[in-house]
Amino acid sequence: MAAIGKWEFPDDLAYTAEHVWVRVEGTTATVGLSAFGTELSGQIVFVEAPRVGRAVAVGEPFMSLESGKWVGRIKSPVAGTIAEANEELEWESATVNADPYGKGWLAKITLADPPDLSGLMKPGTPAFEAFIAAERQKYGT
Amino acid sequence: VRVFDLGRVPWLESQLLYHAMPRVGVEGLVILAPAEPYVCIGRHQDPFQEIDLEACRRRGLPVFRREVGGGAVYLDGAQVFFQVVLHRDSPAARGGTEALYRRMLAPVAAAYGDLGVPSRYRPVNDVVTTDGRKVSGTGAAEIGDFIVLVGNLIEDFDYDTMVSVLRVPDEKFRGKVYRSMHENLTTLRRETGRSFAWGEMTGALVRRFAEELGPLEPAALPAEVRAEAARLEPVLTGPEWFARAGRRTSVEREVRIAGDVQLTQRVHKAPGGLVRSIVEVKDARVVHVSLSGDFFCYPGEGLAGLEDALAGTPLARLEQALASFFAAGRLVVPGVGIPDWLAVLGAA
Repeated sequence: MAAIGKWEFPDDLAYTAEHVWVRVEGTTATVGLSAFGTELSGQIVFVEAPRVGRAVAVGEPFMSLESGKWVGRIKSPVAGTIAEANEELEWESATVNADPYGKGWLAKITLADPPDLSGLMKPGTPAFEAFIAAERQKYGT
Repeated sequence: VRVFDLGRVPWLESQLLYHAMPRVGVEGLVILAPAEPYVCIGRHQDPFQEIDLEACRRRGLPVFRREVGGGAVYLDGAQVFFQVVLHRDSPAARGGTEALYRRMLAPVAAAYGDLGVPSRYRPVNDVVTTDGRKVSGTGAAEIGDFIVLVGNLIEDFDYDTMVSVLRVPDEKFRGKVYRSMHENLTTLRRETGRSFAWGEMTGALVRRFAEELGPLEPAALPAEVRAEAARLEPVLTGPEWFARAGRRTSVEREVRIAGDVQLTQRVHKAPGGLVRSIVEVKDARVVHVSLSGDFFCYPGEGLAGLEDALAGTPLARLEQALASFFAAGRLVVPGVGIPDWLAVLGAA
């Protein structure tokens, strides 16, 4: 587990520049919002789960969150089909803030092809640390 | 950054244009007011839960679902809207949610000050008078690679119509929403006792936004924005978009009056019977409680004593307040214990 400031970044996950994490196991990718991402969002008051069976492309917004009257979109880090949505979050959206890498997962995606994660970042690398440092400066966190 | 001062526009344009701008890559500050009144619900609300659609139909009020967050609002020509559309990489869009709200709402608070109503930004997304009453409704959304932040200067507000279009469990709750809204939301006219010309309000807004966004260049709205708005119209007024399921809640009904003020009705089934509450909370403190239900209690007037005892209590101290009230023996309610009272008060 890498830690930068007060935020943790599990080593087995890959991260997008929009603070979405992804874990690939076989043909399934689980995605969520990183702890840093939840800090930027603030307290999340609603999660709109995506429709199971929907096809998603890399970089495509596929679900939305709301915090402080702010509607944010989650972009998919992989291509595939929504296999499962964490519908518990529609009732308990605060779980995304409280447990972003566990019970706060957002969706599971069945991969269309073996994913190309080379564009994503891994914690513990100089590139990732430089990225988070730049984000902290940009967002004043 | 360009400023598009459009004056009064058909009500639907007052929504469609800012939805269209990010889709065709146009940044800017839009200032306008709707020529006709309407009701607007937030991106994640359920219209059938939030709005009395039959009341809207009787009053001839269209209902629109926006992509921006927040709650149901009644909008009309006595409110001047500002709509900021910025690319996420724009220097003006730097910072996270709260930072952007702070920088975009500080000019609004300053404009209120210029118009004779000293106001301030209050996190996360409110503009309030110096004594804490809300003066502007705001919301934001990411649309594509753009950030849209909208809000209003409220010259005057039709509290009656606002409250009459909300779906509420009963008229008692509606009355409490009205009273709380009147206490916690104010307007330019209520504060100053006078009316305001269009140019006076928009002039203050533009001047203050220029301090944050840099020089604002008056411009005509690009034709491609209107074309995109026309393309979006059937989508954003269609039944599929309108009827999307919204936020789920375990409470019977909740109306957020301002960021720190909310009115909630709850029902809880205790062993001794069904208990119903209406609770108004401000700054995490109980303002009023109404209790009713199908349970035995004695003496009968003791329930009013409990309501009085809870008024003013911080939510975090409700359990202690209940314990000391019942320890004094002023009210006995068989089969309704402190955990039941906490549940119906929303503090379990």
